[in-house]
Amino acid sequence: MRADLRSPSSIRERGDPSLATLIQQIINGLSLGSVYALIAVGYSLVYSILLFSNFAHGGFLVIGGYICYGTLRTFGTGIWMSGALALAGAGLAAVLTERLAYRPIRERTNVTLYLLIASMGMSIVIENIFVIVAGGRFRALPPVIPTAPVNLMGMATTSAFDLLSLVSAVVFLGALQLFLSKTRWGLAIRAAAYDLRTAGLMGVNVNLLISIVFFVAGALAAVGGIFLSVRYTLYPQLGAITIKAFVAAVIGGLGSLPGAVVGSLILGLAEMLTAGFISSQMRDLVVFSMLVVTLLVKPTGLFGKSVSEKV
Amino acid sequence: MSGYTEGILILLCINAIAAMGVSLLTGFTGIFSLGHAAYMALGAYTTAILTVQHDIHWLPAILLGGVVAVAVAYFIGVPTLKLMGDYYAIASIGLGEAIRLILENWQSVTRGARGYPGIDPYTTLPVALAFFVVLAVFMFNLINSRFGRACKACRDDHIASSLLGFHTARIRVLSLMISAFYCGVAGALLGGFLSFIQPVMFDMLKSTELTAVVVFGGLGSMSGSLLGTAVITLVTELFRPISQYRMLIYGAVLVIIMVLRPEGIMGNREFLSWVKAPFRRRA
Repeated sequence: MRADLRSPSSIRERGDPSLATLIQQIINGLSLGSVYALIAVGYSLVYSILLFSNFAHGGFLVIGGYICYGTLRTFGTGIWMSGALALAGAGLAAVLTERLAYRPIRERTNVTLYLLIASMGMSIVIENIFVIVAGGRFRALPPVIPTAPVNLMGMATTSAFDLLSLVSAVVFLGALQLFLSKTRWGLAIRAAAYDLRTAGLMGVNVNLLISIVFFVAGALAAVGGIFLSVRYTLYPQLGAITIKAFVAAVIGGLGSLPGAVVGSLILGLAEMLTAGFISSQMRDLVVFSMLVVTLLVKPTGLFGKSVSEKV
Repeated sequence: MSGYTEGILILLCINAIAAMGVSLLTGFTGIFSLGHAAYMALGAYTTAILTVQHDIHWLPAILLGGVVAVAVAYFIGVPTLKLMGDYYAIASIGLGEAIRLILENWQSVTRGARGYPGIDPYTTLPVALAFFVVLAVFMFNLINSRFGRACKACRDDHIASSLLGFHTARIRVLSLMISAFYCGVAGALLGGFLSFIQPVMFDMLKSTELTAVVVFGGLGSMSGSLLGTAVITLVTELFRPISQYRMLIYGAVLVIIMVLRPEGIMGNREFLSWVKAPFRRRA
């Protein structure tokens, strides 16, 4: 699951350490962070309901990326159609994963370790299905998302792609927030995040609720997957990048959605500022050092509930 | 004995040592790790640097490799294992990646991504076997000792066990440190077996493999972990020609075991009751 996470656009990231570069790196960092946020929020949502780390989450991202690539290449559909298909496909794959691998386990036992191991297995399965079916090589998405440079009122230059991914992430996260706060199912999900059993006793259809949560998480991961495959090209191990979304979720506080968003933005900024001002090779090291420091200083993260053992 | 057979036997001993370490942590204490290859890397690099650059004899170097792994495990374990939930699992991914990146970028000490050549081939079959036997006897004693039972109690119900007076956080950290020592020694032996180590050898795939072996053999069964190691090491050798399907089958087997038989091949029973019998008197 190892991947070279360095950006092919690293030439653009280097430059004179000036104010323009700073602004540019901040925009790039927010853009990257917002893509992490899409992934981290879905992961955090599943964690808040079932209390296990779904390591297959990166697989949903890859499924979304490949559906988008496949439909663009074979059927020549537009980006909107392909994007919608990718979202639906990844969402359904997530629901299917839950039905096949997680539901039989959680119906039998409440040991989350078994779910964790099954999710690790699913992550390996999904990655290697794509290795066998699509081959391990790197694929570039057709130029459906504009990447031309954009000048921001003469202050800094950034690419249209960065602005677009930032805007899309904000739109999707806003939609999620509306769904969670304004709809009946959103209310049920918030109740289940507080206590799944009690929510079930209050008449919530728990199995349907979990399916909805997995669909939402899979669809959000697919959005992230499409943007990441434009940024880094598409390959079966692209899902490994979810490690950074996990890190972001821990920095923000496991199971907290605002925490996942804030953690992702911090991570994206740290990564891009390191790439811009220190060295491109140090960015992954900075990410993992931030994880270790967070766990040492405040293990529950910025917004996490205290989960320390109390007896 | 041909060189090939001997090589497989040495590899089997090394994998079994690492598997025993992970088994104590995952199978007996219920903590999931996705970064144990990092402890192997620490052991391997420490031993390589000590033997090649400082001319220290390989035996103390291997033990020091294990000690370095233990020190890092303590540093990571104390803050994360106080918390319930998947904090250690995620910290272990971070640790694994961070250590691999440090090894790749710290050119002056580790010689970077191209690897560390010229390690003395000290891991002969007798050496590997001796390490395996000593560590196995210690481990089988350990899991039937007071500490081993405390680990199982923490795994099964951490609230009940802390009500019984066990310091659950301390037991979890200690369990992690012992498992890190086993992996450190296994890594050090691997370095001596191959005479060459590379950061890529200790990536997340290796960590996953370590845990998969333990799950396959049966969580909570030390002999199951050894059986799992033997099966997976030999199957890996047999299926080398169709290696692209190997990982797919691997993942599918993990899921299927969790769905159909989460207790693994052996469940939590031990296979070699005749080995266990002499130690049972003390229980």
